[in-house]
Amino acid sequence: MKIIETKNLVKRFNGVYAIDRLSIGIEKGQITGIVGPNGSGKTTLINLLSGVLKIDSGEIVVDGTEKITRILPHQVFFYGITRTFQNVRLFEQMTVLDNILVVITERNIFSSLFEKHIEYHHKIAEEVLQKVGLWKKKNQLAANLSYGQRKLLEIARALAMKAEVYLFDEPFAGLFPEMRKIVSVIVQELKQKNKTVILIEHDIGLIRELCDYIFVMNEGRLLAEGKPESVLERKEIIEAYFGN
Amino acid sequence: MGILPQLILNSIIAGAIYTLVALSFNLIYSTTKFFNLAHGVMAAIGGYAVFYFSKTLGLDIHIAIVLGVILTGFVGFGVDKFIYLQLRKRKASNMVLLVASLGVMTALQAIIAILFSSRFKTLSGNIDTQKIFTILGGVITQTQLVILLSAVLIMAGFVIFLYKTQFGKTVRAISDDEEVARIIGINTNKIIGYIFFIGSAVTGFTGILIGFDVGIEPTMGLSLLLKGVIASIVGGVGNIYGGVLGAFLLGFVENFGIWKISGEWKDAIAFALLIVFLIFRPRGIMNK
Ligand SMILES: Nc1ncnc2c1ncn2[C@@H]1O[C@H](COP(=O)(O)OP(=O)(O)OP(=O)(O)O)[C@@H](O)[C@H]1O
Ligand SMILES: [Mg+2]
Repeated sequence: MKIIETKNLVKRFNGVYAIDRLSIGIEKGQITGIVGPNGSGKTTLINLLSGVLKIDSGEIVVDGTEKITRILPHQVFFYGITRTFQNVRLFEQMTVLDNILVVITERNIFSSLFEKHIEYHHKIAEEVLQKVGLWKKKNQLAANLSYGQRKLLEIARALAMKAEVYLFDEPFAGLFPEMRKIVSVIVQELKQKNKTVILIEHDIGLIRELCDYIFVMNEGRLLAEGKPESVLERKEIIEAYFGN
Repeated sequence: MGILPQLILNSIIAGAIYTLVALSFNLIYSTTKFFNLAHGVMAAIGGYAVFYFSKTLGLDIHIAIVLGVILTGFVGFGVDKFIYLQLRKRKASNMVLLVASLGVMTALQAIIAILFSSRFKTLSGNIDTQKIFTILGGVITQTQLVILLSAVLIMAGFVIFLYKTQFGKTVRAISDDEEVARIIGINTNKIIGYIFFIGSAVTGFTGILIGFDVGIEPTMGLSLLLKGVIASIVGGVGNIYGGVLGAFLLGFVENFGIWKISGEWKDAIAFALLIVFLIFRPRGIMNK
C-alpha cells in the first residue's frame, strides 16, 4: 500500500525547476531511498512533503485518500509525517531534554498552562534520548552539543513524535562510525515497527544495505526507480551520479 | 542623608514600571520578531478602561481594574488576529509589520482621544486616603508599593510561565525557530495570539498602575514603550533577567542623572544610556 504519492509535482525557484513533474509512490512500512547528485531536488522534495515549501502544481496524496495541494507545516504533524533537516535545526536555547519534551507537550492551552509534564512524557523522552546516547547530556543547551550530537538529537526529536512517516535528509552525513551505527539501527527499528522511512543518502553502500526501494533523481526529474541492487547496476545511473 | 533615599526609591519604582513594559514587550518581540510600536498604547487602553469603568460607570475599583486588564488583553489579541496575523499569513516583511503597528498605534491613540479628550486624567481620586509610608528617610505611596509588589509578582509569574509550564516550552520553541515549532505540531499562530493577550494585559495593568501613581493621557504609551525597549536592549533582548536588570539600571541612571539638573533631561539621559550600550555592548548586559 502506498502511504504517500506525488502526482506531477512541480516546484520552481525563479523559473528554474527544482522538482519537475515528479510522480512517485512511497510504500508503507519500507525504507525508501532518494538518491541523486547535488542539486537534483532531493531536499526540495522533502520540503514539499513536510509543508516547508508550497507546491507550485501537482498534488500529494496521503494514505491513498487525502489529496493535498497545500500542506501547512503545522498540519504535517497530523498527517503523521515528521522530518529532519540537512542542516540540523534544533531549539538552540533549550536543553536537550526540553527539545524532546516540547514535541509531546499538551496542545490545549489550559492543560498546558496548569499541568506539568506527566510521567509518560518523561518516559518517552528518556527512551529516545537513551537510544541516541544523549540521556546523560539532557540538561545541556542544544547549542552546546557537538555536530554529531546535534544530528542525533534531531533524530531523537523526530522519534519522539511517534509519526508514521519519517523523512530523513542525509542523517548519516558527517557522522563518526559509532554514530552512523546508531542511526542505521534506528532506521531499521522503525521498519520493524512497520513505520515508513524516506532516506536521502549519498553513500551507495548504505543505500544498498538499508533501502528496500530507491528513486534516483536528476535535475528535479525521476531518472529511475526500483530495488537498489538492480537500479544501482545500471550504467546510465552511475554516470548521472558520478558525472563524467 | 538628604535627598539620597528618595532618589533610590524613585529609581526603584521607575525600574519596576520599566520591568513590566520590558518583559511584556520582549515576550511579544521574541515570538514575532517585529517591533510592535502599538505595544505601548495598551498602557493607555488599560488606564482609560479603568477610568471609564470606575468613574463613568461607577463600578467598584477592583472590578474596574480586572475588567480593564482583560479588555486590554482582548484588544491586543484582536489587533494580532485581524491585522498582524493577516499580514504574517501573506508573508509580510518585518518592515511592513512595523509600519502596520505604527498605524495601529496612531489609530488607537486617536480613538482614545476622541472618546475621552486629550486632557491629562488621574485614576487616584477613588482612593482618597492614599497612604504614605516612610522607608529609610524616603517616602513611598501606597500605589507605588503596589507597583513594586506587582513587578516582583509578575516577573516571578513570567519565569514560572516560561520555564515551568508546558505552554512556556512551546513559547520558547517558537522564539527559537517558528517553522520547526510548526513541524512538530505547534499551532504557532494560535500561541502567538495568546502571547498578544498576555503581553497586552500586562502592559494594560502597567498603564493602570501609572494612572493611579501619576495619571494617564492618550499618548502615554510611546515614551513608556521606548523606555521598555531601552531596558530590553540594555539588558539583552530576549532574556528575562536581562530585561529586569536593564529596567532597574535605566531607572537608576535616569533618576540619579537628574540629581543636580532639571527633570526635563530624563529622556535625553535614557537615550544616552541606550547609545552607550549600542556602541559598546550592543547585545546587552546578559548576552555575549
Ligand atoms: N529555497 C531555495 N531558493 C532557491 N533555490 C533553491 C532553494 N532550495 C533549493 N533550491 C535550488 O533547487 C535545486 C535543488 O536543490 P535541493 O536542495 O533540493 O537539492 P539536493 O538534491 O537536496 O542537493 P544536495 O545533495 O546538495 O543536498 C538546486 O538548484 C537549488 O539551488
Ligand atoms: Mg539536500
